[in-house]
Amino acid sequence: MTTTDADATTVETPANLRVTEEELARRARRTELTSRWFWRILSYIAVLTIWEFALLDIFSFLRGSPLDPKLLPGPSEVVSTFFEIWGEGTMPAAFQATLTRIAVGFGLSFLIGAMIGILMQSKWFEGFFKDAVLISLSAPGLIWVLITAIIFGNRPLGPTIAIILTTFALVTVNVSEGIKALPKDLIDMAKSFQVNVFKRNRQIVIPHLAPYLFTGLRFGFSIAWKVTVLTEVFSSSEGIGFEMRISAVLFDMSEFLTWILAFFFFALFLEKVVLEAIERRYFRWRQAVTAS
Amino acid sequence: MAEIKIKNLHKEFGTGEDKVVALEDVNLEITGHSFVSIVGPSGCGKSTLLNILTGIETPTNGTVEITSDGHVAAPGYVFQAARLLPWRTVTDNLLFVQEDRSDETKKRCQRYLEMVQLGDKGDKFPGELSGGMQQRVGIARAFSIEPDVLFMDEPFSHLDAITARALRRELHHMWDETKKMVVFVTHDVGEAVELSNRILVFAKGGSLEDDIQIDLPFPRDPADDEVAVAKAHVLRKFEELDLLAS
Ligand SMILES: Nc1ncnc2c1ncn2[C@@H]1O[C@H](COP(=O)(O)OP(=O)(O)OP(=O)(O)O)[C@@H](O)[C@H]1O
Ligand SMILES: [Mg+2]
Repeated sequence: MTTTDADATTVETPANLRVTEEELARRARRTELTSRWFWRILSYIAVLTIWEFALLDIFSFLRGSPLDPKLLPGPSEVVSTFFEIWGEGTMPAAFQATLTRIAVGFGLSFLIGAMIGILMQSKWFEGFFKDAVLISLSAPGLIWVLITAIIFGNRPLGPTIAIILTTFALVTVNVSEGIKALPKDLIDMAKSFQVNVFKRNRQIVIPHLAPYLFTGLRFGFSIAWKVTVLTEVFSSSEGIGFEMRISAVLFDMSEFLTWILAFFFFALFLEKVVLEAIERRYFRWRQAVTAS
Repeated sequence: MAEIKIKNLHKEFGTGEDKVVALEDVNLEITGHSFVSIVGPSGCGKSTLLNILTGIETPTNGTVEITSDGHVAAPGYVFQAARLLPWRTVTDNLLFVQEDRSDETKKRCQRYLEMVQLGDKGDKFPGELSGGMQQRVGIARAFSIEPDVLFMDEPFSHLDAITARALRRELHHMWDETKKMVVFVTHDVGEAVELSNRILVFAKGGSLEDDIQIDLPFPRDPADDEVAVAKAHVLRKFEELDLLAS
């Protein structure tokens, strides 16, 4: 907490001393932050350096025979391939194809998962869905990817069903947990003050469920993302996974690694920029709760 | 003028082996400008009674009626715990229970926040306040709707002695000024004697055991002889009813 408590008995400190204290705290924070970033960046530099200059020799040594440099291009080559592909314009198209699949599949999955989560509040439906949820949570996504690829070929329904089967349970579990933890004391409070049911839902039930939904969204999305790319590797004629398959089949490792790199950066961007911004914007009160 | 009528009120929780009787055949009438304190040991149904009166719980048997000049009265409730919405700021917590968000309403909310000395904390989230400050927001919230009847469930028990005393004085002042009804639950016999003109004593099992009138002028000083005598009288009742042990 940055403000001082008006009720606390404060010992008077001279104004100039107070400034120094604040300044010291700020400096400490800055040093902390800089050193954390220093180590993070250092790890990237280390990995890239080894990859560029030594990895080929290491792998050749491990195999017992020299490795064809074409099969393991260094980061500088991958980056130049990246710009080449970017120039050709295939990258946005591939991302668009993949993201559309995720949006449709995960959108449906979210609705279905939430609905089952609500239904599972009844004992009978809980019994009905319980094992299905467990199976979906524990089975590796690859199983559904293979099954839907075999059954649906490259029809768009395949990835959609694979996404639903791998992610709905995450949403279900979170929604169900959120409903079980509904703050009865707050709802009672609102009732006693004769707050109507719409306002109660809008200002108590929905804000209470929001973090649970957000958790479901976040984890569900990260799985949907991987599963979608996998389905594209096996059975599709467009998208990131498809491009990866083509480059792998052609033994074009530079291109293959480029797609992996693009995939990695995009996932990082979503997680670090988009989702964390949402979290900061809408869940400020939670930081207040955890900080105190 | 507000009026509370309770007839043959009975409340149980659970069934079979888990059955708990919280209130047992309570009959009671409170009218007009009363300050009624409810005292009794832990678990004797004090909170349950307030919950029934404010419509949170329903009676197992019997009836309760709260009216004000012939229509249903608007209750304000200060809970044993603060019960604030953690995702709303202090000001929004007060606005949440208002009928509108007009400038006049906002000004009124601000006035009651100032009354509990939190005038500058309106933009904070409850998680950023201390427990005692949160409890005071709960008090300001109940005051801010200017209710016909104000129910308070041990509102001052988590506060430091000085703040509690200032708020007791404020509460009494408001009660005197508005001629509203206050129903006040407390563990503290001294507090009950200092504030109320009527004390209801409940015993374990939820029965109303005694109904004591205290007709001394306000403000009452605990050091005052008559107040001390009244307190001793209530404590003697407690002894007779064997309530002190718990
Ligand atoms: N929702 C509930 N479900 C089951 N039992 C309950 C419930 N609410 C209260 N009780 C029981 O009813 C009895 C009266 O509880 P109540 O909370 O009214 O006591 P109280 O007089 O307010 O006690 P305290 O002074 O400790 O706050 C207790 O035995 C309690 O366990
Ligand atoms: Mg209680």
